[in-house]
Amino acid sequence: MPAIQVEINGIPRKSFVEPTLMLVDFVRDHLGLTGTKKSCDSGNCGACTVLLDGKAVNSCLILAVETDGHSITTIEGLQKDGKLHPLQEAFIEFGAIQCGFCSPAMILTAKALLDQTPYPSEDQIRAALAGNLCRCTGYLKIIEAIKSVSERMR
Amino acid sequence: MEKHAIIGERIRNVDSPDKATGRAVYGTDFRLPGMLHGKILRSPFAHARILRVDTSRAEKVRGVKAVITAEDTPKIKYGAQIHDEYPLAVEKVRYEGDEIAAVAAVDEEAAQEALERIKIDYEPLPAVFSPQEAMAPGAPAIHESPQNIVTHIDFERGCVEEGFRSADVVLEDVFKSANVHQAYLEPHVCVAQADTLGNVTLWGSLQAPARNREILSRILKIPQSRIRIVQTTVGGGFGGKATQLISLYPICVFLAIKAGQPVRILNTWEEEFAASRSRMPAEIRMKLGIRKDGTFTAKEIEILANCGAYAGTGPAVVGTTATRATSLYRFPHVKCKADLVYTNLTPIGSYRGYGNPQLHFVMESMIDMASEAIDWDPLEVRVKNAIRKGETSVHGFAMNSCRLSECLEEAAVKSGWREKRGRRRKEGRGIGMASMIHVSGNRAVYPFFDGSTAYVRIQPHGGVEVVTGEAEIGQGSNTVFAQITAETLGVPLQEVRVLPVDTDHSPFALGTFASRVTTLGGKAVLLAAEDARQKLLSFAAAKMEVSPEKLELKEGRIRIKNSADPGMEYQEAAKLASHASGGAPILGVGAFSVPSTVQIPDASRYGNISMAYSFGVQVAEVQVDRKTGKVTIQKFFSVHDSGTVINPLLGEGQVEGGVVQGIGFALMEEILRKEGRVLNGNFTDYRIPTIRDVPPIETVFVEEPDPFGPFGAKGLGEITQVPTAAAIANAIYDAVGVRLKELPMTPERILASIRKRNR
Repeated sequence: MPAIQVEINGIPRKSFVEPTLMLVDFVRDHLGLTGTKKSCDSGNCGACTVLLDGKAVNSCLILAVETDGHSITTIEGLQKDGKLHPLQEAFIEFGAIQCGFCSPAMILTAKALLDQTPYPSEDQIRAALAGNLCRCTGYLKIIEAIKSVSERMR
Repeated sequence: MEKHAIIGERIRNVDSPDKATGRAVYGTDFRLPGMLHGKILRSPFAHARILRVDTSRAEKVRGVKAVITAEDTPKIKYGAQIHDEYPLAVEKVRYEGDEIAAVAAVDEEAAQEALERIKIDYEPLPAVFSPQEAMAPGAPAIHESPQNIVTHIDFERGCVEEGFRSADVVLEDVFKSANVHQAYLEPHVCVAQADTLGNVTLWGSLQAPARNREILSRILKIPQSRIRIVQTTVGGGFGGKATQLISLYPICVFLAIKAGQPVRILNTWEEEFAASRSRMPAEIRMKLGIRKDGTFTAKEIEILANCGAYAGTGPAVVGTTATRATSLYRFPHVKCKADLVYTNLTPIGSYRGYGNPQLHFVMESMIDMASEAIDWDPLEVRVKNAIRKGETSVHGFAMNSCRLSECLEEAAVKSGWREKRGRRRKEGRGIGMASMIHVSGNRAVYPFFDGSTAYVRIQPHGGVEVVTGEAEIGQGSNTVFAQITAETLGVPLQEVRVLPVDTDHSPFALGTFASRVTTLGGKAVLLAAEDARQKLLSFAAAKMEVSPEKLELKEGRIRIKNSADPGMEYQEAAKLASHASGGAPILGVGAFSVPSTVQIPDASRYGNISMAYSFGVQVAEVQVDRKTGKVTIQKFFSVHDSGTVINPLLGEGQVEGGVVQGIGFALMEEILRKEGRVLNGNFTDYRIPTIRDVPPIETVFVEEPDPFGPFGAKGLGEITQVPTAAAIANAIYDAVGVRLKELPMTPERILASIRKRNR
């Protein structure tokens, strides 16, 4: 089995993985980071989004071996010093979470957006999150939450 | 209205922090040591006789721990209402996806290999896919029922002939709605474990654990007392994970018993579309009579609905289609004929609204057509006929609270209805409205009672625990129950915890469906909290040597009313009370049954089925591109009488989410099939609204406390998507003058309608 060296939520880890193992299964089943959700398993719903070198990707479409030498952030890596990330706070405050199954992915996708574009227009927010499905909230409170974080950074 | 400290406040969802940080454990996240992977073998035929099943080669696959067929089960038929299905097929399969066998193995690969090695000889049978085909003479019998009819409804109240005679205009038309999926993001999943004494535990993402246990007990032939169901965090349900227990669960238990190890089964999305229970599609013919003064004189409907291969919740769903929407208005004469028909398609089930959106689409569309025919504003026609507080509808629904008329006016004012309607067709812009009614609990669903039970425990450490069997599925009931408890007890919200549902510890409860949880579950929590409060105050009164009536509990402190006495912290009183009685907590019990005026409907479907009815009005503003047929919703208004709104933040969430699901039903969603095979069983081909499809939505709550609901609350969960398709259809008509009678209203259909009209 190939060995890979991946930085997971800031901590370098060496793992041996099957060459066919998908990143989502590596993260969930091998590392036990089940905050990353698995639903459609075909890149359509976005629930498995993680950050690969800061970019939002569908972890069900990437092989674990492809991440060798890269860094991965999952929802478990977003808290700093025991404090929630401002996006996590805002999602809670604005009621952007109902069943919550899409929430880790939504929050990570929003983080990737704000890291790149701190003051996005609403269209940019919608474009960035277009690959993340949510069936509960109707998305509006998600948009509000992201806008509020962006505004607070100004 | 009475001023409350916590009720009516925009309180954050108590479950959100764990969900935002990835800590919540969903069904898909739950694991046990030694857990095996289960997989189900499904029928590749829509209708076939099973001649022979050979599992011998499957059993030899390395790592396989159990292979089961119907022969390994007690072969007991079950169903939500009609017992017509087996967890694993006996003799026949009736749709493509029907379960035949299952395996459990140490990993998915072994399970998959074993499935492929099960050999089955089939004799394909002729199959039928539409109700018309299924009812035709000589059609193959899917079960034993004549003409493949599952449920036949036939009633007349008053005399529609007379009603139509007294009308100035009588309209008649046919409408169709599509089979759409709940599309919760978490697929069905469960983990089952059997102990050596014969006790069974099931962990799953379920909406009605105690009811699920009843059904499971029947199928497994294991007493309920030996079955424990633990609800995990649920990744969305919308009715799809409620009382209709899909075979996945009993199969998982059978595998776990046979393997002697825990087993997990997780549906793929392909399986979800092929074999989970989605919305009933219906073809509805409606005849509506109206006088020139705007009064409805009669309404007659004929419903033809496709049930798929098993009854499931279908009979109740079609019953809802047959009656509910009618109760919005004063109809003197109504008649209904409905047939729910078996076909060789995936069985249908419950989806937010339970048959109600289908008839709302038809009726609210036809009201606009009738209004045009008499040259009235459809708003005024609705106001003229609107049912009012104190009235009883033609189906026997007693309106103890009702602000439909106020909702209509509020919707008109907020949306600028009178200024905008019929004025912007040149630009392809239009505005449309539709009214809505739904229940808060439905007495017709469970034969024995409707109501709920809750315990509120004040522990010696001061923590307040709410124990209920009603299910949080993301709608926010844990937060609402905590608010009701904190408000009633007079303690800070953060002291209250709603415990997870576990049938070993939680009281029996019907679960999350029929918009019943806040109203009925919340009422039980309110009574339990009141009981706990009284018990605590009685104890404190004895301690303080005053009579209990002289005491109050506010902001966590027990004080003598109107006195300077500092009193005592409630935690102190709870601790002392516990010490004085062997460590027992203060135990408040709330057992609530709906009033006796709430009844199971009679044979003609007449009866006051719910304790409280919710109302509302939606308005859509659309832009229709005449060249492409594409509809853009520019603005949406949703005005609700759901009584007191216990948490407007969560309430808005219900509205926004419901409206967007309604937009999917209206404009884009349909499970497409060819000869029973799903053609678009994934989220690329089955499109649900994305963040790009969502218009601004303005939510308005027209509040009036209901006399029965807790703090006057009524249901809000399902109603939010009930009229959405009709409001959009009416707006499209206002924009471009074409009447869409089939859902979804895709660009192709709109374009075809425009072209047809222009010819």
